[in-house]
Parts: sequence; structure tokens; C-alpha cells
Amino acid sequence: MKNFKGLIVVIVAVLLLSACAPAAVNTPAPAEVVPETDKVPAECAADRYGCAKIEPGQTIKIGMGSPMTGGDASFGIDAEQSGKIAVADAEPLHGFSFELVAEDDQGAAEGGAAVANKFVADQTLVGVAGHLFSGATAAAMPIYEAKGIPMLSPSATNPTLTQKGSAVFNRVPFTDAAQGKAAATFIYEELGFRKIAVMHDGEDYGKGLAEIVKVEFEALGGEVVEFVGITSKEADYTPVLTTIAAKSPELIYFGGYTQDAGVLANQMKTTGLENAVFFGCDGTFGTDFLNRAGANGEGSYHATPRTPPQTPEKTAFDEAYKAAYGVGPGELSPFTWNSYDCTTALIEKVGDVAVLGADGALYIPRGALVDAVRGLNNWTGISGTYTCAPVGDCNIQGPQFHIVKNGAFVPVN
Amino acid sequence: MENEIRPPRRYKRSKLPKLVRWIFGLIVLSYFFWRLYTVFIVQNEYTPDIWVRLLISGLVIGGVYSLIAIGYTLVYGILRMINFAHGEVMMIGTFAGYFVFEATNAIRFTSSTGEITSLSNAQPFLSILLAFIVGMTVAATFGFLLEKIAYRPLRKAPRLIPLISAIGASIFLQNLAQLLFSPLVRDYKNPDLIARGQGWAITVAGARLTIPYTGVLTFSLSIILMFALYTMVRKSKLGKSMRAVAADKSTAALMGIDVNGVISQTFIISGMLAGAAGVMWGLHNGLVYYYVGFMPGIKAFTSAVLGGIGNIPGAMLGGMLLGLIESIGPTALGISYQLKDVLAFVILIIILIFRPSGILGEVLSEEKV
Repeated sequence: MKNFKGLIVVIVAVLLLSACAPAAVNTPAPAEVVPETDKVPAECAADRYGCAKIEPGQTIKIGMGSPMTGGDASFGIDAEQSGKIAVADAEPLHGFSFELVAEDDQGAAEGGAAVANKFVADQTLVGVAGHLFSGATAAAMPIYEAKGIPMLSPSATNPTLTQKGSAVFNRVPFTDAAQGKAAATFIYEELGFRKIAVMHDGEDYGKGLAEIVKVEFEALGGEVVEFVGITSKEADYTPVLTTIAAKSPELIYFGGYTQDAGVLANQMKTTGLENAVFFGCDGTFGTDFLNRAGANGEGSYHATPRTPPQTPEKTAFDEAYKAAYGVGPGELSPFTWNSYDCTTALIEKVGDVAVLGADGALYIPRGALVDAVRGLNNWTGISGTYTCAPVGDCNIQGPQFHIVKNGAFVPVN
Repeated sequence: MENEIRPPRRYKRSKLPKLVRWIFGLIVLSYFFWRLYTVFIVQNEYTPDIWVRLLISGLVIGGVYSLIAIGYTLVYGILRMINFAHGEVMMIGTFAGYFVFEATNAIRFTSSTGEITSLSNAQPFLSILLAFIVGMTVAATFGFLLEKIAYRPLRKAPRLIPLISAIGASIFLQNLAQLLFSPLVRDYKNPDLIARGQGWAITVAGARLTIPYTGVLTFSLSIILMFALYTMVRKSKLGKSMRAVAADKSTAALMGIDVNGVISQTFIISGMLAGAAGVMWGLHNGLVYYYVGFMPGIKAFTSAVLGGIGNIPGAMLGGMLLGLIESIGPTALGISYQLKDVLAFVILIIILIFRPSGILGEVLSEEKV
């Protein structure tokens, strides 16, 4: 019995230690730039946030805050993997290489603030490709704002984020408001349906989007016969689909992700909704949906950003990702390409504003970097072409809709 | 102490809280009846076929819950502990079945008619059988190891300690699966014979409806397994030993029963049932990922309590009942579908108010006393 207690203590101690291990302590942060030094470039003195000073031998850090544990871990892991490829693809800047620092914010506000506080304490961290989830992003924003660290989020789509007047926050996905309006208009005018049911996965993104679709569709004069949420990944939605079938909608709009969309498309065929059209969103787009739904997914609609066609750069990235991690891009989350672009865009803008000091250190004027990221203009990445609006919305084109035909996505608008 | 098994303790309660509970229960019940009246008599917008469809969904998911719930109830009956890692044993079974279908789907050959076909389509019965055997074996192995590693060393510790160990094992298994199989949400590759979204069309009250093939498989197999288990516990020597150990460990040991062996076998049987439930879950719903066992585990635990924990027919009944409540309840009461979990737990509370030991709970205590 005593031995056993000892064993437990040892196991707990080992677990605690191993839990601490990944959070490797960064190299001691260099002191803030001292303005009287002659070697400091003039840009730093003029900059409203001052400069980040990267000593020789240090790396230029790009942060990323995302859920990496818990039920949404695939999003964070995907973003980190994608960002790592972007960093590996980046050319060293004056001999300084880039490093991606991905931290787990659990997709929640508390986690977002904790990660942001950790990031602003690191003097060599100059930009954040994130955060991924809207809740964490909202909490992290003011912390970066105080320090002058620009954010470029691959996936935070909550419309209110860019209405807060933040100078540092930018994002590449189109907002839920833009997508919801476009989808409702498309359903009403292009497809000509008047009677739809709107479903969502009960999470912030899906529910927010579904509400916008409902409001916009009713504003156009259509009828929403049912507005209902499911519990994501619960996997048995036949009861709710059956109840919806009783109201015979012509189309089912769903705000959520591929895993639930695939299940819904399958279960619609056995619940009396055989003839209703499934209409997804950008969260339901991906080969993943085709694999899950198979023949049951034929004729369904999905949305994407307006992507350039399969460019050589995108093919190269897809191959690198698959080779490095064994899963295809877009399988863990729909934001793989966005994450790559956000990281790459930040790296490129760092290159634009960085100044090599006379002392051999690299100086990055923070204020200039914030403005440079906001000033993204006609910047083409692998997931689209981006121009940032003055509030930080960098995708002004709205969604592209696709229909599934013979097991492939075909653009329709 | 070894002889810790006591008949369920009867707590002395003062009259007032009991009155309050009854009033609360009656208020909720009358609310339910009012909602039922509204939906069925006042609105009456659903045709009979809708209810038949909901009934089918409920029976299928209920069958899965029942199989998992039996695992909780068997272990509780014998060890007086809740094996909170049981949902994860089911998850392991789901993954094992998933890999069998991946493998049989990857083996391709040219059939006699000249078409290229996979093993899972050429031999659907064989591959389904294989998936269940592998799923049950792997889950049973994990159940066995779980008991050996996480619970056996704590056999004589106070009751809360194995419970904490169970929660730890549950978190460990989830993270193990996440590390081994990545957090990807994968989908089952069903043989074409039982493809998801396909089923028999029948006509009910003039309306055509489809019974999914996977649903039929899931429901009938769960009934067969439950019947087999019940017969085993009632008739076989192992079943007799299990009941003896459940009644009194030390006396059973004095009568020459290998108590540890029986406990191990109980975990193996629970694991097998959970593994079968896992493969069914995968075939019917299609999703498999490291967290897949969590919610079914909690639901099955609820079912076991609903039916009277420690009682095998109680677990079966509880599982079926919970499945039906979840599928029919929200529609019948005209409330949001997202509230179905709330509804399930409210009904659990109601049943515990009026029958504190669960629906079939009394049978157990009589047997035990």
C-alpha cells in the first residue's frame, strides 16, 4: 500500500513535469530599444510603438493562437502545421530566420488573453497569424493593440470583430454577415426556393451564420419553416431531420462544418428529405464532405472564398502538407490555406518594414508593421487575393458557391 | 475492507424535502402533460409516419446506449464503482472497427464479372463480422487492461479513489487516441450493402418511409447481444460466479470462486459489449474520432441509473428509454431539439424523485438483501 502511494506520487510528478515541458522558456527577452544609442535606426524613434529588436542569433517570431487540445483541437493543429510550412518556405531576412510560435488558447476568451499576454512579453515576436476562433480573438485584441502587434486571422469570422475600431486586427475570411446575405440571395433569386429550413451546429460560427441567413431570407420574402440547432459531432440527427421533414421544406441550409454536414446529407436520405436540397457554407466545403456523404451529397451546395484556380504555388503547398503530415490540407479544418497565407503575408510585411541596424541587429518598427499589414493591397496568396478594408476585413469579394456534381465541386455563380 | 458490500443504504429523510421534491416533480409532470396535449390535440401537425420514424431512430440509438449501459451496470454490480472510462473503451472499439473497414476496403481485386471490387463489397458479411470480432476483441482487451492497471491496485482503497482513477483513465485514453490517430474526424467506409442513407422503404398510414439498413443491423444485433448476455448471467457458471461476487466478495472467495478472475472477466464482457456498440455507432452514424465515446458514455451511464444501476434488465430498459426520450421527446413536447439532453436529465430527475433506485432498482436490492 505504501509503495503504491509512492508510485502514484511519482507518476503525478512525472505527468506534471511532462505537462510543463512543451512550454519551453524563451531566450531572455532583449531589453527595449534605448533611443539614445546611435546605432538604432531613425525609423524606431519615429515609430509610435517603437521597434522590436532581433539580436543576431535570434529568430523573428510569428505567433499563432489556436485551440490545440479539446474537441476543436484539429483546427489548431492544422493551423500550426500550415504555418510551419509557411515559415519553412520563407527566405531568411538579412540572415535572420523566421519561427512560428503556436500556443494553445483552447478557442476560448480566457485562453486567448493568456496566450496574448505571453506573446506580448516576448520582444522578438512581431506578428500574430490568428487567433483562430472569434471568442479568443476578441479577448486577445486589446492586448496586442497596446503593444502594436498586428494580427491577421485565418478564420475568425464573427462580424463584430472588425467593428471595434482595432488598428491591429485584420482577417482574411469573408464575414459571416457577407456570406449569410449572399447565400440567402442566391437561394431566393438564383435557385428560386421560397420555403427553407435553417439548421446550425449550435456553435458560435454556425449559429451566427444561420441566424443571418434566416433574417436575410425572410427579408427577401421567403419562409423559414424551421430554425433549429443540433449538437455538433453527436452523429445521430435523424429525429430532428424527421421533424423538419414534416414541414416539407424545399431546401435545408446548414451552418457548421463538414463532419456534421456529411452526416446530415446521409441521414436526409432516410428521413423523408430525399428531395430537399442541402445547402452548406464555407465550413462544409471540402473533399472531406465528398468522402463522408458520397452519393448522398450529390446536388448539394457549398461556399468558398473566391479562390484562384489550382495555381502551382497551391499545388506545391498541398504536396508539401500531405508529405509532411500524412493528411491532406483542408481535412483537419477548412482553414489550412488561409493559415498559410496569413503567416506568409505577415512574413512578407516584416520584410518590407524591417531595418538592419548598424550593430548587426534587426529592427522592426512595430507601428509601421501594423500599418503595412492593414495596407495589404491586391496581395495574392494560395487561398485568394486580399485587399484590406480600412476596418481590417481583407476579403471584400464575398463567397463563391459550388454544387456537387458527379463527386466534384462545380462553381455556380 | 473486503466485506464492504452493504445493502443500499437507506438515508433518513425529513418529511419536508420529500414534499418539496414531490411538488417539484408534479409541477414538471403537469408541464409535460400540458405540452403533450398542446402538440397532439391542439396543434396536431405531425402525421403518424413521423412518429414511426422517430420511434425507429430512438430504438436504434437506444440499442447502442443499452449495450454500453450494461457495461456500467455489470461493473457497478460487482465493484460498486462507476467505470467512467467505459465510454473510451467504446471509442477504442469504434476505431478498431474503422481500421478493419479501411483494410477490407483497401484490398482490391478483379471479380469474376471483370469489375474491380474491394473485399468489403465482395464479402460484406465477412467484413462486417470481422469488424465486430476485431472491435469486440480490442475493446475487451482494453477493458481487461484498464481493470488490471487502473482499478485492481486500488481494490482496497476508499471508494472515491478508483473513481478518480477511472476519470484519469478516461482522459488518458482520449489523449492516447488523439496522439495515435490524430484529431481528425474520420468516417466509416461501410460496405455498399449497408451504405448509410440507404434502407428499406415501407408504407405507414399512406406515407413512404425508409428504415436504414444500418439501423436494422444495429438494433437487431444489440437485441441478440443483450439476450446472449442475459442468458449467460442467468444460466452459465461464469454468470453464477458473477452474481455470487456481486452479492458478497469475501463469501464468494470462501466458496472457492476466483474473485479477481471473475472481475477480470466482467471487464472483458463489458468491453466486448462496448466494442460492439462502438462498431455499430460507427456503421450507423459514420463518425469516428478520439472524443466519440464521451457523450455515449455519459448517456449510457444515465441509462444505467435510469433503469436502476446494478440491474442488467434495468440497463437495457434504461438505454432504450433514453434513446426514445431523446428522439421522440423534443418533438412530442414541442421544444427545441437542442434541449433533448436537458429533457433526458429532467426525466432522470423525475424518475429518481418517484423511484430513487431507478425503474427496476428494487429488484436488485431484494436480490442482494
